Amino acid sequence: MLKAYLFILLFVCLLLNSCSSDKLSTYQKSKALLDTYVTITVVADSQVAADMAIENAFDVIERFGDMVNFFSDRSELSAINRSAGVREVGVSAETLDIIEKAIYVSDKSGGAFDPTIGPEIRLWDFINKTKPSDLEIRKNLPLVNYKNIIIDKGKSTVFLKKKGMLLDLGGIAKGYAADLAVEALKHKGITSGLVAIAGDIKAFGLKPDRKPWIVGIKNPRQKIVEDEVIARLPLIDKAISTAGDYERYFIAGGQRFHHLLIPRTGYPAYACQSVSLISDEGAMTDGFDTALFVLGPEKGLALAKEMGMDAMIIDDKGAIHTTSGLQGKLTIERNY
Amino acid sequence: MADRLLFFLLISLAIAGIFVSRDALSKGSDVIIEVDGKPTYTLPLYTDRLLSVVGPHGDTLVEIQGGKVRVKEAHCRNQICVREGWVSRGVIVCLPNKLVIIVGGSNKYKKQGLDAITG
Repeated sequence: MLKAYLFILLFVCLLLNSCSSDKLSTYQKSKALLDTYVTITVVADSQVAADMAIENAFDVIERFGDMVNFFSDRSELSAINRSAGVREVGVSAETLDIIEKAIYVSDKSGGAFDPTIGPEIRLWDFINKTKPSDLEIRKNLPLVNYKNIIIDKGKSTVFLKKKGMLLDLGGIAKGYAADLAVEALKHKGITSGLVAIAGDIKAFGLKPDRKPWIVGIKNPRQKIVEDEVIARLPLIDKAISTAGDYERYFIAGGQRFHHLLIPRTGYPAYACQSVSLISDEGAMTDGFDTALFVLGPEKGLALAKEMGMDAMIIDDKGAIHTTSGLQGKLTIERNY
Repeated sequence: MADRLLFFLLISLAIAGIFVSRDALSKGSDVIIEVDGKPTYTLPLYTDRLLSVVGPHGDTLVEIQGGKVRVKEAHCRNQICVREGWVSRGVIVCLPNKLVIIVGGSNKYKKQGLDAITG
């Protein structure tokens, strides 16, 4: 009799264990790239297939990062900045493409996003909590204008018209890299996955349980660990990016000074705490989230609608505004 | 009767064991420091300490305090890791020093039913 019971026990244990291993076909790897942490999750039928696809996507991101690294002397972007006001610089198709997209976002947002904001950003010291003087800010403003980026598509060259201009693609590069990584994964036969380059995320396909990927949106005013996520939403074949005033900031004299500057004035924008944007393309969500943050909730939502994107904007009072496309999809966390 | 008792006891232990081990595994480590892609230190997040990590650009000073982590000093050129400031969940990266500090694990997301967090 005991043997029969033990046999049943063994069967139950095997059954429970087989039920518990529900992630057999989801594989995940992380790597430090683009000065941040990149995590790629794929659905695949073997570890070997997943590893090959993920490593290839990492390589694609790394090669792209080498071209547009603001801090590396060897990058194409640094060559463009060194030659500002002097001469045009020949660049790769990818570098030309991302600069074109950055100009597109700038144009569509009326300059609320501007990849030439570099000379203003560098004045702010968020480590030592130092605000630049009004004079310093005014002095560098003439160097900020995306219309002074001259592109020659035929020759594949880029020229910054004024000496001292600095092109910084940090506001769009991670989203663009997520697009590249997803294409690289698909090219290797992966039909479902999630690429997370810090907070710039792109999902495609469904999880093994045929459910969509679920992405949480960070609470811009998190006080305790349990408050980290303010909302969640399913993501199917879409990208999401978030711009927030809590990423790089300091508080002085009771005022928050953060890195999302208004290109026209050189001072931080104060109408929002965070903007999360959803669209088909990572480069667009990454670029436009900054633009919407600068524009504020009303104009920002109008621009999102015009561009066919969905947005969740948390305004300066903490109120949540969304486009109609998010109705029924967005779940606000209970403790908010 | 004794057989039945033993059977139910074993069943209960087996089921409890599965859930206990799952929970223990999902808690993971609080702070993992990777050097050159290899996990080098595993530290509790709620024990304050200063740690010096050797890298190609000299020592990087990592500080854990009050459930948060920061790179206090680094000798890399760009200081991106230092500029990250205090992090209570997420990752701090110093590419020149091949250093990655993971604060909390992805298991926390999974516990909340999330695949990733934006922001």
